[in-house]
Amino acid sequence: MGTENPNRANTSQGLSANPFAPPRNNMPISSNPVVQSEAPAFRPTSVPASLSTVPSTSSTTPFSFPGPTVGTGAPGFRPMPPGRPPPSYGPPTTTPIPPFQSSNIGQPMVPPGQHPPMSTSLNRQHQIPPVQMGSPPQSFYSGSSNSNPPMSFQDSAYSASRPNMHQPAPLTGPPYPGPLRPPPPPPQVSYKGGYVPPQPTISTPFSSHQGSYNQAPPAATSSGPYVGNSAPPTGGMPSLVEDFSSLSLGSAPGSFDSGLDTKLLPRPLDGDVEPSSFAGMHPMNCDSRYLRLTTSAIPNSQSLVSRWQLPLGAVVCPLAETPDGEEVPIVNFATTGIVRCRRCRTYVNPYVTFTDGGRKWRCNICAMLNDVQNDYFASLDATGRRVDLGQRPELTKGSVEFVAPAEYMVRPPMPPLYFFLIDVSISAVKSGMLEVMAQTIKSCLDRLPGSPRTQIGFITFDSTIHFYNMKSSLTQPQMMVVSDLDDIFVPLPDDLLVNLSESRAVVEAFLDSLPSMFQDNVNVESAFGPALKAAYMVMSQLGGKLLIFQSTLPSLGVGRLRLRGDDLRVYGTDKEHALRIPEDPFYKQMAADFTKFQVAVNIYAFSDKYTDIASLGTLAKYTGGQVYYYASFHSVIHKDKLRHELARDLTRETAWEAVMRIRCGKGVRFTSYHGNFMLRSTDLIALPAVDCDKAYAMQFALEETLLTTQIVYFQVALLYTASCGERRIRVHTAAASVVPDLGEMYRQADTGAIVSLLARLAIEKSLSYKLEETRSAIQLRIVKSLKEYRKLYAVQHRVGSRMIYPETLKYLPLYGLSLTKSTALRGGYADSQLDERCAAGFTMMALPVKKMLKLLYPSLLRVDEYLMKTPTVSVADEFSKVCKRLPLVAESLDSRGIYIFDDGLRFVVWFGRMISPDLARNLVDEDSSTDFSRVSLTERDNEISRKLMGILRTLREADASYYQLCHLVRQGEQPREGFFLLINLIEDQVGGMNGYADWLLQIHRQVQQ
Amino acid sequence: MMGDLIAWLFSFFILLAVLALVLYQIMCFLDLETDYINPYELATKINNIMLPEFITQGSLCLLHLVTRHWIMFLFCLPYLCYNVNQYIHRRHVVYATEVFSELSRQKRQRIFKLVYLGFLLFFSIFWMIWSIVDEE
Repeated sequence: MGTENPNRANTSQGLSANPFAPPRNNMPISSNPVVQSEAPAFRPTSVPASLSTVPSTSSTTPFSFPGPTVGTGAPGFRPMPPGRPPPSYGPPTTTPIPPFQSSNIGQPMVPPGQHPPMSTSLNRQHQIPPVQMGSPPQSFYSGSSNSNPPMSFQDSAYSASRPNMHQPAPLTGPPYPGPLRPPPPPPQVSYKGGYVPPQPTISTPFSSHQGSYNQAPPAATSSGPYVGNSAPPTGGMPSLVEDFSSLSLGSAPGSFDSGLDTKLLPRPLDGDVEPSSFAGMHPMNCDSRYLRLTTSAIPNSQSLVSRWQLPLGAVVCPLAETPDGEEVPIVNFATTGIVRCRRCRTYVNPYVTFTDGGRKWRCNICAMLNDVQNDYFASLDATGRRVDLGQRPELTKGSVEFVAPAEYMVRPPMPPLYFFLIDVSISAVKSGMLEVMAQTIKSCLDRLPGSPRTQIGFITFDSTIHFYNMKSSLTQPQMMVVSDLDDIFVPLPDDLLVNLSESRAVVEAFLDSLPSMFQDNVNVESAFGPALKAAYMVMSQLGGKLLIFQSTLPSLGVGRLRLRGDDLRVYGTDKEHALRIPEDPFYKQMAADFTKFQVAVNIYAFSDKYTDIASLGTLAKYTGGQVYYYASFHSVIHKDKLRHELARDLTRETAWEAVMRIRCGKGVRFTSYHGNFMLRSTDLIALPAVDCDKAYAMQFALEETLLTTQIVYFQVALLYTASCGERRIRVHTAAASVVPDLGEMYRQADTGAIVSLLARLAIEKSLSYKLEETRSAIQLRIVKSLKEYRKLYAVQHRVGSRMIYPETLKYLPLYGLSLTKSTALRGGYADSQLDERCAAGFTMMALPVKKMLKLLYPSLLRVDEYLMKTPTVSVADEFSKVCKRLPLVAESLDSRGIYIFDDGLRFVVWFGRMISPDLARNLVDEDSSTDFSRVSLTERDNEISRKLMGILRTLREADASYYQLCHLVRQGEQPREGFFLLINLIEDQVGGMNGYADWLLQIHRQVQQ
Repeated sequence: MMGDLIAWLFSFFILLAVLALVLYQIMCFLDLETDYINPYELATKINNIMLPEFITQGSLCLLHLVTRHWIMFLFCLPYLCYNVNQYIHRRHVVYATEVFSELSRQKRQRIFKLVYLGFLLFFSIFWMIWSIVDEE
């Protein structure tokens, strides 16, 4: 009964009516005049845009594709994120502090001797104990003193693909073409970074190691041609960076200790930085919050695709939240009907071109020449632009929303519908879930979207199923109990789903009485499957959103599940992945049926025991829903979290009965889609309900060996019913240039999109392979891409043994590392609960790019100075200036400080051991000996507490999609400290997983092989 | 000797039936790819037809066994084992939810089956002719 009726939509006869029908008769278009003529408009811009990320010599080079540019941009230093806070480590007041002095960084100290020689030099880093002052600012390590000779063998294979002969010939002595460049390039020009891996063989004792940095800057080398090349971001850095790059050239083998300065490794401390090229080259593109490509440079040939080892695709968040003033304009073609290409069904967009005096328009995707209808006609001015361009947002804006007329409906637009399926067994009552939930729903009744059409209904269940008659003529809801679980029937099919505004009083009466109705319930069983079927029967007429509150493992009737995942031995075997997929096909089947009838399922799971999220979550996965998992829910602790998240789920703007399709130009085809949804045909994503917190990823491939067009267009179209009852189509259009060389692809790569896509692929892989294999696949992918990059540049630049990577992908290894350490993929049996792992997987499959990056590299902020010193209470601005994100290493934690760890899903507030008692007393009630697991942070009547709560509030407002529950942790308080914070300090080596430096070394070693 | 010929004829027709069933499944998948049917229809069609295919193939095997066509029986056996294995692990069922992610695998599997059945058909015809020739 869906609007996009599945039965009809896919039959040939239904196709004509289906607005989303794919192009049927794709005539081959080789090269069309319009696209060609458009091209110059974009082509030249691409060069300057790329220049901005590339060292400046290239501006003098005549090549449009800055192959040579590439060469110049190889300062051999480790790039730093520009905004990195330099002095959080403080001045080196006491430089060589003996190890172990005050090392209360909850991490166990391991004497260097216990490590394999490889990692010793790195691990010593961790031991520079007092976090704040220990490390000397000039802490760089010398490069590998004997740079390897250039790897000439790689050259032959690739020289053909780049204009090698135009390359400014290898300079005199030093491999870095610094002298060629005009002196100070802009800061972000660090086109490639590089760092020197430590030489495994050399391992000097700690003291000499320390000493070596003090005397290290042999300033002689730092002068000369390299000055200014590396354009360091911060004032303190220049000498360091130059020293570094020149040191690596120095030919004094053995004179310097080799090592890796962990402080100089690239870290995304500014959060997600969107590549400027996406909008820069094609200003009419939709905003990157809606659509992000993994690289904005589309490869022009299959061979290029195969050399680009990273995923090639896009991440789409069709309903992303917009800041005020940037709302997507709504266009109503009341009389004309929506203007679309006749052949490929592309919607009219800023990239179409009007010809023939405005009587025809050419589709930018298939180059078809369409007639302009009379109502839509406007003449062209001298420059060939329509005279009414200013009044036509669809011709100027990359994102636009069309009001869809009747031919886009298969049935009248559905009303917003919320149906609740509530477990009322003993554990639900005991945990207090029932009460919080009922209160929250009641408080949200006014804010449910779509009033007065909104419909609502409830079913509760334990070992029986309880239906509620909510007819508006009643004063109290009538409860009907069905205990026959094998043959479910729905009593009173008409009055179970009622119009909220009509039955408001009954609904409120029900919600008020719900907790007390079951407060003495001692039933431990859960007839989840039968109740689900009942809900399905009630909802299948209209569709809508089904919210399931489940506190126990389903134990009765169809779809009952058993305890699994307890067996330690399964991990590491071929059966491991089976734990992460639904056990009973019933769930897949139900999910398919729900999607068919436009029902989206959101799962709220509360159990303190195993609830088989893997099976339950399947319902959410294939219906475009979401899984909220509250491990061992207790209303005292989790009340606010549930309240916030449920309220957001109920009140956020939701698009109903939606379908989404992404179209792209000829020669490119989307091949696979990743996220929480079901595919209804090869390229039609069915989304019973979709909102601003959901993103979808997709990969594309080239259909032809060579692309002849110069620009590829992408168009995302989401056809949905708005809560107000209007049928709408949201269209996002973007263009991307086609490039013939790999360097350009790297230059326009978007780490955020790549990481999002990689994460989704990895989680999907973990459903059919071992975790171990999944993690190594991530690593392999990164290694392959860096290897390819190295092949591209290693030879001309004699990078020797340094690691090189494109500036745009400088965070990729780190994000890869944190992906392998994410809850969904880390470790084995003991490292995270099976339910938690699965829930994290489902969550990550839906996260938009920015939230994904935040989750992978959470922010760590030191707040005690701010709390103590800053006099004002106005939090918002000041706070972000004073508190900078710190690297996620144990060394960042000073025992005299208070830190907030924020991964977007929760906060951890860490109290140092030596924090001033005054401060502690102001913030928490108890004295320092109490157990923090029972203390919650509440606003107290003093300045400092108000400020801290203000900070937390600001942070929460910045990301409202989840409620970040605040956990208090005191330094040294095991195991909570380890569990909440230390395991999430992803750059550290925790529990057998690599630290950042080790990880880079490993990658680098594999790249060099 | 007439009985042998009849047995060969029987097995030939059963083989044709299996072949037709597999061919039909491939057609269904192709239809799905070109959007003529939706995943729900496909899942229903395929799931309805899998068991008949298995049974027909099993009876073919049985026929070869009772008519003591050992070589043909041995040829059919791996196919049967594969089917039984699929059935036991319930891997023969196609779900509408994930049919697109499995599309290529499922198609490959069925094309392989088709080729295998082609071989069997060839042998079957060969033995049938042989038995006719032998009779004379």
